[in-house]
Amino acid sequence: MNVFQENISILRSQDPALASHLLNTPGGLLSIYPAKSGLPTAVVNNRSIHSAYDPLREAEQWAAHHAKDCQAGEVLVVLGLGLWYHLEALFANVSQDSLIMVVVPNLQELVDGLAVRGLKGWGERVKWVWGDPESMAGQVAQQGQRVRLLTYEPALSLHADVYDAFRLQLRQQLAHRANGTLHVMVVGPIYGGSLPIGGYVVRALESLGHRVSWVDHSLHERGYQQLNTIRDDRLRMTVQQRFSDTLGVISLAHVAEDPPDVVLAMSQAPLSMAVLEQMRRKKVLTAMWFVENFRHLTYWQQMIGGYDFWFVMQQAACLDAFKQAGASHVSYLPLAADPSIHQRVNLTEHEEDELKADVSFLGAGYRNRREILPALLGHEWTFKLWGNEWDNCGTLAKVLQRNGARIDTPTSVKIFNGTTVNINLHSYTKSGFDPDGDSVNPRTFELASCGAFQVIDHRTLLPDLFDDTMMKVVRTPEEFVPAINTSLREPEQRRAMAEASKQQVMTSHTYVHRMETLLSAMGLASPDRIGAILQGERQAESLLARSRESPELIPLLNTFPKKSRVELVDMARAIRLKGPEAQLKREELLILMMDEYRQEKRDFL
Amino acid sequence: MSRSLLLQLARLGDLIQSLPAISSLHSSFPDRPLDLVCAAPLASMAQLFSDIQRVYPWDGERWHSLANMDGGAPEPFVVAAEQYVDDCAFPRYSVAYNLNNHPRSVLASHVLSDQVVGAGDLGPLHPSLPPWVAYLRQVAGDRGANRIHLADAFCGVCGVNPPSVVPTIRATHVDLPNDLACMVDEGSWNGIGIVLGAGDRDRRVPLATWRQFIEVCIDQLPHGLCVLIGGPGEREAALALEDQLPPSYLSRLLNCVGRTSLPQLAHVLNRCQWVVGSDTGPLHLGVACGARAIGWYFSRARVHETGPYGVGHYVWQFRPGVNSKTLGAFDLNGSAPPPGSWPVQETLQLIQGQDESAHPSEWELWKSHRDVWGMFYMNGEQLDSAVAQRKNIWEQLSAPSANRDSTVGFRSHLTGCSS
Repeated sequence: MNVFQENISILRSQDPALASHLLNTPGGLLSIYPAKSGLPTAVVNNRSIHSAYDPLREAEQWAAHHAKDCQAGEVLVVLGLGLWYHLEALFANVSQDSLIMVVVPNLQELVDGLAVRGLKGWGERVKWVWGDPESMAGQVAQQGQRVRLLTYEPALSLHADVYDAFRLQLRQQLAHRANGTLHVMVVGPIYGGSLPIGGYVVRALESLGHRVSWVDHSLHERGYQQLNTIRDDRLRMTVQQRFSDTLGVISLAHVAEDPPDVVLAMSQAPLSMAVLEQMRRKKVLTAMWFVENFRHLTYWQQMIGGYDFWFVMQQAACLDAFKQAGASHVSYLPLAADPSIHQRVNLTEHEEDELKADVSFLGAGYRNRREILPALLGHEWTFKLWGNEWDNCGTLAKVLQRNGARIDTPTSVKIFNGTTVNINLHSYTKSGFDPDGDSVNPRTFELASCGAFQVIDHRTLLPDLFDDTMMKVVRTPEEFVPAINTSLREPEQRRAMAEASKQQVMTSHTYVHRMETLLSAMGLASPDRIGAILQGERQAESLLARSRESPELIPLLNTFPKKSRVELVDMARAIRLKGPEAQLKREELLILMMDEYRQEKRDFL
Repeated sequence: MSRSLLLQLARLGDLIQSLPAISSLHSSFPDRPLDLVCAAPLASMAQLFSDIQRVYPWDGERWHSLANMDGGAPEPFVVAAEQYVDDCAFPRYSVAYNLNNHPRSVLASHVLSDQVVGAGDLGPLHPSLPPWVAYLRQVAGDRGANRIHLADAFCGVCGVNPPSVVPTIRATHVDLPNDLACMVDEGSWNGIGIVLGAGDRDRRVPLATWRQFIEVCIDQLPHGLCVLIGGPGEREAALALEDQLPPSYLSRLLNCVGRTSLPQLAHVLNRCQWVVGSDTGPLHLGVACGARAIGWYFSRARVHETGPYGVGHYVWQFRPGVNSKTLGAFDLNGSAPPPGSWPVQETLQLIQGQDESAHPSEWELWKSHRDVWGMFYMNGEQLDSAVAQRKNIWEQLSAPSANRDSTVGFRSHLTGCSS
């Protein structure tokens, strides 16, 4: 029996279907040749998958580096296959309680390995995960244990798209299974577009059962704006910076008072690098949801190292730019809607008089809008223009509503509902449509969530979010008028598209979905902190089940509801509630002692 | 054999002020070994305490680090804490004397012993304070005219009387760096320890004042050697001071700042006849090492609470614009302005044995005395009523029937000489 047959035999005992598929799969993906050490190594497209000198030594270093973080009882999911030197080394380095699952992105790659390297002694005890990304993610997620992803980069790049899809699927599936509750502190900006999004985020996190602390800096907007009366530019900017720094310290004080698991900052949140560094020292994980165009607002470059996690609403170039700048974790997270706010509403007669229109546009007066929207004037339909920053807008002035006042969210929802065809034109500081236009604005989701019909300019990321049965997409400014005419003539199709877009939001694009994804991504990257909490490992019932080393804690744990999260501070509080006469056990005294030191705040500010 | 433990987790000054309590406990229970838990950086110093059998360092940094490890689930913290305590290999104590009214100290006392004397004696969660601990808290808050010294009050906390003999520290067996050893162990000079810095910024004496003091000492004390004392944080200040002095003075100046461990510092101070400085740990260490002290007490420092322990010490108490006979009436709550002048020449005169000279207007001179109720300071030759009231306070607070948590009884004593 040769190596391949012996390997197939091992795999058959564990996964007959896999063995059967492998027998019918040709190899040839990897070019195999001997390394200097004599062991086989592999190359694809002139890229080495393993060391050309000593693959074993390289694998041992990889395994030692990763194994130090691994904990007993975890599911270790390895991404990157090659000739599995690293798997073998990992197996030798981690606890036998750990389950190693190896994602097989392509059976050809596995076949190549099976022909030259044996599985005996360890291959029987790892689980080979194969199939499409969704099913592979399902196999991992259903283990119901803490998941730690380990990546072997040289082999990962061979099938990067499959691994990306797998990760996305795994994130979503774990998100649905999460039953633990986190304490998330959401830090908002002083003002601006990310402020309402911060509010939606807070509601979404709360609806998921997490404890949320909302650090609302919009309370200070009036004071901040007052500084605009300082005429000297340098002085004004200095004072505004100091103001902003103070708000950062206020955020830090909130963290000190009630330490969260995660600080989630919205774009423009006034957290300086010094404040973020202080949070890192206190081991608070930080994330920023950067809901800006990364090409237009570039302050992220100065802040990149400050946050542990970045979430952005653009893909490809944006993700690359953030990674190159040094972001340790960056993920795509598009905007969304809040269906409890962005919903169908009935307008009163008075509201209909003011807000109803055949065609409306709501947004700020960017250059491309000023140039494109006049084409919508002078038709048989009624057209209303809403929003601010429309000074000197020429012919558009006669359709500008409320003298260009800023429109609040409840009114915008009524406008969306009262408009037959909503124009959604993404902002651009030049003429026409943004040729690099990729991200999808919040209005897209909000209109859809309201069940309102929209005609939207093309964005490269739009098709992944909504298809053309849900909204009318135009690729040039000239297409707006015909698209509006057609839409006005076809009420049934319009209603069907609007309804489909609403359903799409409900299924996939609410802020609840986004927060599930965001926390799941953080959980995967931080399995023993955020991941463990999301898995419910901090709940009383889970702690009870794992009270091996300190069975003395069991009576105390039994005083908590089974599903409630129990931290050191909760136990300390429960102990203190025993009253002044209580005779405490040694473990209880030590819990109080630890809590005393943990609550030390003097080094915070 | 049953053992007892004393817990003093505070800073150097408090640890030194605990020596009388240690001494009295040892005298009262000669057959019961007494161990000490103190802050880890002070453990080497505490090894010099002759009445202590074993010293256990309490590593606050380590506790802090354990308490801030990743995660929040209780069990790993308990395991880590158990490990810490186990690694220290504490024996089980029949009694723990706890001198600090702080939750950590109270908890540590109960972890290590079933019986606690002092703060937390009724249980780790019991809010009630034993009489002497309540007294100390009252004194710290009211800052009245109490005359029971902190070190004697520590004795009260432990249930013993002040020691009959003032305890001292000997560290002459501790090796010094060669250059220091040459100077320190050469016996023909009169060493004057100058405590350069202070942990609290508001207790620091200006460098210019020290320069002036050193100059008059060297000019007027033919055998005087000024020994600069301080920690690594004061090294720069000491070098700056050296730079400011004429080169001819440097042969009469020994800069030990930041160059000694605490036991080595004790060795140096064992060789000093005098120690001068503000109310700091090294000043009290100097006293425990046998030097006579002249304290410059300002800011929140109060002679009656923390004056140098023993007989024959002096304290210049800063009292801006106050008649010298009325010290007890004034509440030094820390808001006093910094001194505008310093008793430089007057301190030199005390060293020269002249204590009858005129005093600077903003400073009062107090001299230490001692009787069966501990030590006290007097400003002049006449006992004032507050000194006499110490006996009543001792009897009241030490009586088995002493009323816990009631400060009414001794509040009158605290303020008794205020008018």
